[in-house]
Amino acid sequence: MNKPMLGLVLGGALGALDGLSALASAPEVKPHIMGIVVGSMGKGLVAGILTGVVARKVNNLAIGITVGIVIAALLALPFALAADPATGKRYFWEIMIPGSIVGLIVGYATQKFGQPVPRRS
Amino acid sequence: MPQHSGRTGDRAFPTTRRSVVEATRDENADVRRAAFEALVSAYWRSVYSHLRTKWRAQPADAEDLAQEFFARAMARGFFDAYDPERARFRTFLRTCLDRFATNARRNERRLKRGGGAVALPLDFAGAERDLTASGAGAAPEMESDAWFDREWVRSLFAEAVEALRAECAGTPREIRFQVFERHDLARAETARPSYRALGEELGLPVTQVTNHLAWARRELRRLVLEQLRALSGSDAEFRAEAEDLFGVRIP
Amino acid sequence: MTLPEDALEHLQQVLRTPEPPGDRYTLQEPVGQGGMGTVYRASDRALGRDVAIKVLRGDVADAEAAVRLEREARILARLEHPGIVPVHDVGVLADGRVFYVMKLVRGRRLQEFAQGASRSDVLRVVLRVCETVGFAHAHGVVHRDLKPSNIMVGAFGEVLVLDWGIARVVGIGRAAAADGAGNAPPPAALEAPPSAASAGDAATGPAPDPVTAPGTVLGTPGFMAPEQAQGQPGLVDARTDVYGLGAILRAVIAAEPGGQSAPRPLAAIWARALSPTPAARYPSAADLGADITRFLDAQPVTAYREPFHERAGRVFRKYQTAIILVLTYLAVRLLFLAMRGF
Repeated sequence: MNKPMLGLVLGGALGALDGLSALASAPEVKPHIMGIVVGSMGKGLVAGILTGVVARKVNNLAIGITVGIVIAALLALPFALAADPATGKRYFWEIMIPGSIVGLIVGYATQKFGQPVPRRS
Repeated sequence: MPQHSGRTGDRAFPTTRRSVVEATRDENADVRRAAFEALVSAYWRSVYSHLRTKWRAQPADAEDLAQEFFARAMARGFFDAYDPERARFRTFLRTCLDRFATNARRNERRLKRGGGAVALPLDFAGAERDLTASGAGAAPEMESDAWFDREWVRSLFAEAVEALRAECAGTPREIRFQVFERHDLARAETARPSYRALGEELGLPVTQVTNHLAWARRELRRLVLEQLRALSGSDAEFRAEAEDLFGVRIP
Repeated sequence: MTLPEDALEHLQQVLRTPEPPGDRYTLQEPVGQGGMGTVYRASDRALGRDVAIKVLRGDVADAEAAVRLEREARILARLEHPGIVPVHDVGVLADGRVFYVMKLVRGRRLQEFAQGASRSDVLRVVLRVCETVGFAHAHGVVHRDLKPSNIMVGAFGEVLVLDWGIARVVGIGRAAAADGAGNAPPPAALEAPPSAASAGDAATGPAPDPVTAPGTVLGTPGFMAPEQAQGQPGLVDARTDVYGLGAILRAVIAAEPGGQSAPRPLAAIWARALSPTPAARYPSAADLGADITRFLDAQPVTAYREPFHERAGRVFRKYQTAIILVLTYLAVRLLFLAMRGF
């Protein structure tokens, strides 16, 4: 599996799980959980593929991790700033921190694993 | 005296010839005398150093004993009993020498020189200088046998070098001996010039220095082996000695 | 004249040094001593480079030894591989001794290299040896004398297998070894009769040697397979070298400084290679190398059936960073949960 594909799969899976985990940390969002999961999964897919593309170009663990964190954080920011329409609460840190960690995990995984691009002879 | 094998450099090893040891038992007195002269020439340094190191004889006594040993060996046929099947000739000679020295010490008198003794101009003073310089005079008894052998090898090579010098003197090959003398006879590793330096000194290209050295070494090897064969009691002894000296089995 | 001791020693040394015919090569100092020959550093004037010249030792310079040395040169000349020293020339000295000229190798023997190297570096060197030996097997040649002192690691990391002095041409089928069941093919079906030219061809490899007489023991104690030690040359094939490779592995890994014990999968690899019966060993050097590669990649090796807890530990070690990150994520989630509880 190449790096962008690995990022896509991993980002999507972790994003979905991250969305689902909201049920544990914020049970009041249960009625909206499908939207949360889809949105989180979508963020994960986008962050994953972008991080994977960067990993294909740049072979540097620190850069890969940083890119993963930054992209995931940027994608999570709008959701973190928005208030829950039902409760009016903001879940800023509950969204930003776990989301950034997911970005970190995807950044690490795409640097360490996945098939690199074969060199042109 | 042993004959030369033919054209120089023709063969790596000398052909069969009669050994000097055998010649000491010849019926002809002149042949016997010449053979003894050759043996003395090859062994006198070993005998002298052995008397000095093992028997702790003073230089003057060692000189007299060495001369007398050879005189008696010739007069009384010490080497007639030599059997090549039992030992190498130099081991046998050393045993004879030890027996001779034992008797001399027992009698504790200076031995008179017998009539008709071989009186060769031997450089005992030079031998004493070398012995002192090497520190062998203080060697324990066990090392004295090794020193005996070492002096024998030294004589062997020295004779071969002189033969090579004589062979080259006054011929176009003299330059080859000069190259060999400057490089391979240098007194110390530090004094040994490089091929390039030697070439500059003698006005030769480096390739020629290499070629001359290679020729001289080949000749020296041939001459040493010739000398060795002459001094060996048998063919088997010659092969064994050659293997010890050069690490090569004689075909 | 009298010869000073320095001069006498020098003369003895130069006269002991063999002299190749012609003036192309000039021998310098000896750099190695093998069972059959002495290796000298030499200058090649024609190409202006240093080479190594192996000369038959004087005390073994009989006709049979000469044939062996010449055969060694021809075997090496056929085996063109980065791990095998290339042969440039072969000839006969004035005194009748055979010599051959090869590349001068500078480096460290494996046991010396292993002293200051990490385990994975040592294993990578052994892996390269497996590749080289496997190449020889594919060309019908069995080394028969594999040991750490016959492995050289060069200054630039090149790995060379040296001293093919008792190598034997057994025919491609037999050297490429066993069938899937680990059984050796019957010798009669594979050994072509020696031809008069004894050259073989590219398709079948060099013609097999006349069989070494039964009872002949060739090799180094501690590194030679039982069938070698018992003088059974008819049973010598690729698995004989597999045994040697296993002995090398054990020797360099067991000698690790600090007395640390080897991991069980690695010990199992050399244990399998060192099986007394050839059928129980790896069928080829390539199979042994593949298991070493698996070990280096933290994957399960075929020689060792790891219990669950060891497998879990191995997987954890391989992916520990990722696992820790996931656990960190879960910990953060739990923290938020706990904070909500308060």
